Amino acid sequence: MIKRNTFLREIVTNRMLFLMLIPTLLFFVINNYLPMVGIYYAFTRFDFSKSLFDSDFVGFENFEFLWRSGILTRLTLNTLGYNAAFILLGNVGAIALAVLVSELKLKWFKKLSQSVMFLPYFISFVILSVIVYNIFNYESGFLNTLLKGWGLNPVDVYSTPWVWVPLIIFFYLWKNLGYSMVIYLAAITGISDEYYEAAKIDGAHIFQRVRYITIPMLKSTFVVLLLFALGSIMKGQFDLFYQLIGNNGMLYNATDILDTYVYRSLKVTFDIGMASAAGVYQSLFGFALVMIVNTIIRKINEDYALF
Amino acid sequence: MSYRKNALTLSAGALALVTVLSACGNNNDDTSSPATSPSSSPSASAASSSASAAPAGLDTSKHVTLQFYMLGDAPKDLDLIQDEINKMAEEELNATVKFNFTTWTDWDQKYKLLLSSGQQVDLLFTADWTQYQAYANSGAFLPLDDLLPTAAPKLQEFVPEDMWEAVKVKGKIYTVPATYKEYVTNGFVYREDLREKYNLPVPKDLATMEAYLEGIKQNEPGMTPLAIDNVTDNLINPLRELTDHSVGAKLPYGIGIKYESPNDVYSYWGSEEQLSDLNLVRSWAEKGLFAKNVLNQKELSGDLITSGKAAAMLGDNPTRYNDNNMKMQSLHPDWKLGYTPYAEILGYATPVHPIHNGFAIPKNSANPERALAFYEKLVTDKRYNLLTQYGIEGKHYTVENGYYTMIGDSSSNGFPREGMQGWAWRNPEYMLFDQGYDGVKAIFDELDKVAKPDLFTGFTEDYTSYQPERAALEQVEKQYFYPLYAGLLSDVQAGIDTAMAKAKQAGLEKIQESYKQQWLAYTAEAGIQ
Repeated sequence: MIKRNTFLREIVTNRMLFLMLIPTLLFFVINNYLPMVGIYYAFTRFDFSKSLFDSDFVGFENFEFLWRSGILTRLTLNTLGYNAAFILLGNVGAIALAVLVSELKLKWFKKLSQSVMFLPYFISFVILSVIVYNIFNYESGFLNTLLKGWGLNPVDVYSTPWVWVPLIIFFYLWKNLGYSMVIYLAAITGISDEYYEAAKIDGAHIFQRVRYITIPMLKSTFVVLLLFALGSIMKGQFDLFYQLIGNNGMLYNATDILDTYVYRSLKVTFDIGMASAAGVYQSLFGFALVMIVNTIIRKINEDYALF
Repeated sequence: MSYRKNALTLSAGALALVTVLSACGNNNDDTSSPATSPSSSPSASAASSSASAAPAGLDTSKHVTLQFYMLGDAPKDLDLIQDEINKMAEEELNATVKFNFTTWTDWDQKYKLLLSSGQQVDLLFTADWTQYQAYANSGAFLPLDDLLPTAAPKLQEFVPEDMWEAVKVKGKIYTVPATYKEYVTNGFVYREDLREKYNLPVPKDLATMEAYLEGIKQNEPGMTPLAIDNVTDNLINPLRELTDHSVGAKLPYGIGIKYESPNDVYSYWGSEEQLSDLNLVRSWAEKGLFAKNVLNQKELSGDLITSGKAAAMLGDNPTRYNDNNMKMQSLHPDWKLGYTPYAEILGYATPVHPIHNGFAIPKNSANPERALAFYEKLVTDKRYNLLTQYGIEGKHYTVENGYYTMIGDSSSNGFPREGMQGWAWRNPEYMLFDQGYDGVKAIFDELDKVAKPDLFTGFTEDYTSYQPERAALEQVEKQYFYPLYAGLLSDVQAGIDTAMAKAKQAGLEKIQESYKQQWLAYTAEAGIQ
């Protein structure tokens, strides 16, 4: 344990290490801390002819459009709900797949299945939206052609909001599962073989080995990934929602998230102030959430907390 | 395990370092480029007789590099053209220019950033559809009134006085308008060969258009009769133009203003007019005249037509109709498109407003005077103009019988016609046309006979007082009006009622009232009766 007044000595003894840390610190100060000054934009009326701090201070006026249409609660809940599902199902699915793949004995099959799961990650949501349209569109979509072929009535997927909740989650997982699986796979590879050998000698069968060795060893990776994901729980996956739903107002009640709402509201309006206001709202929410969850985790097990 | 962790942290640190270093490297490149560019050898430029070419009042003693920004994609041979231009500009204006292009991807975001990030931009394209009026109004551009006489006297003379007048925002000129007169007015586009094959009526008005679409539906079951990629642009706005004689295609906030009575501002949303329009849309939807999931359709309507997936478009402009027709015929020689301008139905056509194509000098320009002088060259000097519009003669194009002829085809040619999207610096005196463009010219000649001025585009909306309402209303339109626009709701009246209730909650009345006041002030000032 480092005593309080030895901070200076700490610097002196590890001066090379601190020196090596400087570029990274600079990087974060320049790219992540300096731009925070821009938060002030959220409280001003933007004017080309004036600099940031000369602009008129308007208080919370820029935030007004967020609650003006009375749907902020729904947007927040949608955003939280979808992201919670993404984080939870994404991590659980990735762990399950990683365990399965790591237990595979055939090397070529292991590589193949890993690649097959990873590939969707490289497909852009723009292309996905075209694929989805060609599956579900009413007149000539794959699904309805199939249904008609079987003598059934065609369905209008694009006018049925609830279907899109599982669909969006499905497509998110389809695209991202392979990627997060690789992270867990790397963590599993890092677990020393000695544990498994000892367990084998003690007569533990494969499920016991997974249950009592692999899963507990993955816990710290899981917690770190979870905390990272929570920070951006109010943001993200704009592409997915925007491309799949687009202008289809029929589906908004079930599918609209903050990002798509902000984009739609400000696409035609040139307003840096309002866009910053939305960003500030999202960031503050994410910040609060990370602080709360991190505190809870620290209470339970200090080693797993981020800070 | 801890060893692995260290390795990871180290490599992350290394990555960060590389990023920082490379960022510095970029900065260095930027700042040093004017000094190291080959053209800046001082003896050459100082010795040349630059004074004779540059306007008398212009100070060209210092060498400058101009940053020129255009939307869209750069032609392949841009560097070649840029070098040629710079050879001349170096000598005559002691300036070099860098042509930058935004590409069409997210151009509106990039446009916003160019103006707000503080980087040097000396010349930037403007149009009504890039929100010229709004940007000019919020101070993003420099006023040109005092610059023109000293920096570009020839240009000032070249552009007619009424055009300078027309682009003014709050009494100041912020952009140099294009002088070429063209029409981007709508017309029906339809597959003429199918019409002949099935003996369908010629679409002359909405009723015959509907009959034509129904005929297609019956005879070509695999085809979508009407191509739509955007329900407002391809369906509602053209419809409003025809049924309600809307003064501008893109009147916002459900405002209605008729061309015949520009001083009568009413709410189109919630009106009888809207009800009948939307009932028509609903009946077309029920008959299956356009795709049911049109709100999620991503393919552009022009592509749907040329690939044979759809048969007609409710509204498109003559130039694009001609392009699509030629594109289609190069692949399917026996297919043919027909065109009926709305002017035949409405009795008038409005040529493009001078605001439609222009170039402005943004606030962040380092050299506004030289930028304007260079732009003058681009428009009025034949050498500059032909180079940037058509490329190098003999390499990119030839002129045969007065017609422009491309060398090679669009994939092998490094600089196709108007390859730099040079709509704004077109000079009618130097313009060269493709033979295939004769069809468009014929349409333009017809439209010239019934030409009336565009009353809408000159209006500058100031929305600062209702920003939040405006953003909220945008959401309401997408969520509650778009399903109606796409004919998805069986009870149209109920759909309108819900949408209106939500719109009022978002502040519709405040917006419409304020818009009305501004509009009436504009018509009074412009003397529009």
